[in-house]
Amino acid sequence: MLTVENVSKTFSTPGGQVQALKDVNLSVKTGEFVSIIGKSGSGKSTLLSILGALDNPSTGSIIVDETEINKLSGGNQTQYRAKKIGFVFQQYNLVPNLTALENVMLALEFGGYPSSSRLDRASQLLASVGIEEDQQQRRPSRLSGGQQQRVSIARALANQPAYILADEPTGNLDSATGKKIFDLLHDLSRSQKTTIIVVTHDLEIAGKTDRTFTLKDGKITTK
Amino acid sequence: MNVVTRGVKNAVRSPLKSGAIVLMFAISIALILSMLVARGSVLAKINDVKANAGTAITIRPAGVMGDQGGGDPLTAAQIATIKSTTNVSSVTSSLTDQMTTTDTNLTSSLTLGSFGARQQRSTSTTQASTDTTGADTTATATTRPAPTPRISVTGTTDANSVSTTGGTLTISSGAAIDGNSSDNIALVGATLATKNNLTVGSTFTAYGQTITVKGIYTTGNAFQDSGIIMPLATVQTLTDQAGAVSSVSAKVNSSDNVALTVTALKTALGDKADITSEAEQAATSVTSLEGIASLTLAGVIAAAAAGALIILLAMILVVRERRREIGVIKAIGGSNGKVIGQFIVEGLTITVIGAVIGLVFGILVSGPMTTSLVSNSQNSASTSASTTGRGARGGFGGGFASARNQLNTNLTQVTASLTPQIFLAAVGITLLIALLGSAIPAWLTARIRPAEVLRTE
Repeated sequence: MLTVENVSKTFSTPGGQVQALKDVNLSVKTGEFVSIIGKSGSGKSTLLSILGALDNPSTGSIIVDETEINKLSGGNQTQYRAKKIGFVFQQYNLVPNLTALENVMLALEFGGYPSSSRLDRASQLLASVGIEEDQQQRRPSRLSGGQQQRVSIARALANQPAYILADEPTGNLDSATGKKIFDLLHDLSRSQKTTIIVVTHDLEIAGKTDRTFTLKDGKITTK
Repeated sequence: MNVVTRGVKNAVRSPLKSGAIVLMFAISIALILSMLVARGSVLAKINDVKANAGTAITIRPAGVMGDQGGGDPLTAAQIATIKSTTNVSSVTSSLTDQMTTTDTNLTSSLTLGSFGARQQRSTSTTQASTDTTGADTTATATTRPAPTPRISVTGTTDANSVSTTGGTLTISSGAAIDGNSSDNIALVGATLATKNNLTVGSTFTAYGQTITVKGIYTTGNAFQDSGIIMPLATVQTLTDQAGAVSSVSAKVNSSDNVALTVTALKTALGDKADITSEAEQAATSVTSLEGIASLTLAGVIAAAAAGALIILLAMILVVRERRREIGVIKAIGGSNGKVIGQFIVEGLTITVIGAVIGLVFGILVSGPMTTSLVSNSQNSASTSASTTGRGARGGFGGGFASARNQLNTNLTQVTASLTPQIFLAAVGITLLIALLGSAIPAWLTARIRPAEVLRTE
């Protein structure tokens, strides 16, 4: 359902042209849990941005369920991200002065979810990732790293996206918590058929996904 | 939860920082309001001064002042010309005369003194005459009668013109007289009345006619209180000078128009009339007030600019700090519209809270501020207001001294008044500042690109 076709990305820098991605091709089926491995400078942030409709490739296309997302206008891409893509970041990136509930409700608002049902849906989502009711009213500063990441995942799931992009989701967590988060993502892909793409440099995590793509110097190799 | 509630929540996110910004903004709003109020008061006072101070022009027959000098009185035609001159709002005409002992049965209450004696001096003449046969005849020295103080008579269309303070004549008993009458009635000065045992209803003779006393007046001025006031037409008839006038006081509608009215009168009357005015005095008093008005306008602009700058800088800093957050919100699907809207609400919240505090503070401060602005300028104005050397002379004493007093009191009487229009103007300026101060940071947030902001490396 997600196809990356001949995607290249070139940046202009003071030092000249830099080609971050060179003719990348890959495809992901619905419900697959895949990983993209790459070291620093391999172009994985660039690929992530393009997969997340945050940036457009210089050449090539991203097709998701028959929609060529790179051809969408800026406003439409924002709408697309709201409804069809879920983001999970290494640094959680929750809005600090909103509670866990409000953070999830924010995503529902952007996705056009009816306002009267947002609270219930947010509460359900948080419960499903293991955030209890009393924790739901807390602001991120009063939640542990693992809890914050769970909230982040609940937020990503809010509008039943076509796929979730996770950028080093366990990078800031200890190994025990990291494992729990990973298991959570794994369960989601199985039970809810959510397509999940994890970008990481951690080979161990990558090994536990269905498939791994390796990104090196802007080029893809499939394992 | 929506854009508005999130904007408001963000405004109070860091209470200390927001508090500081609100305070600074409140001060600038307070300044704007007090400056506007001060300006309003000063502008009102300027209009007041222009309508009243230094607007009297005195027209006399050429060569005549009071009972001094020589020349012919002003005619009815000339008075008509003066009345019809543009910007002349009202005209008071007067004719003065000096009654000698043969003109009246009243005794003057003034003593001759050395001044009086000198005014009436003459050399005794020895006339040597020769008859046609060439023989000397006895020289006969003809001497004039011994000099005596004379009694001043003022015939006027407005008895208040005799007042020595520029205001209304004080009638201590009896009633005022109608200046347009031609009856043989008079107001008598208190000192003269006492000297001649006159009360209201008494009669005396003047110019061979019986005159009835309608009232006694006091000015506190020895010269004036020894005189008589009668209607103009009465004096013209009694002295057999139909239509004659020895002095006209014309009031101009605004001190702005005094100079050109003087020019118009000079052109119309030619060299037949002497014209005196206080145009320069009036201009000076208004100049200092106009200076304050300009100062307050500059103050309003400066305070508004400062207020806008405070909000602008505060919002730019906020946007900078929250770059990552803005990037995330955009990444998860927040449109530019929602993000910008949130920041505008945040800016407006701070502005509105600051404005409310500032307006209240401004109302309290505007009164003292106006007074201090005016008293500072009043000190400089009173030292520069020159005392004109033209003291009381001849028939009209009070004219110029009264105008000068009026100018000085004007400057001290600026009252701070807060009108609804001024209040709305302050509110309007505040909203403009709020929009300006929030719009630019809003534009900055639109330019934030999530992809750049979210690079973790």
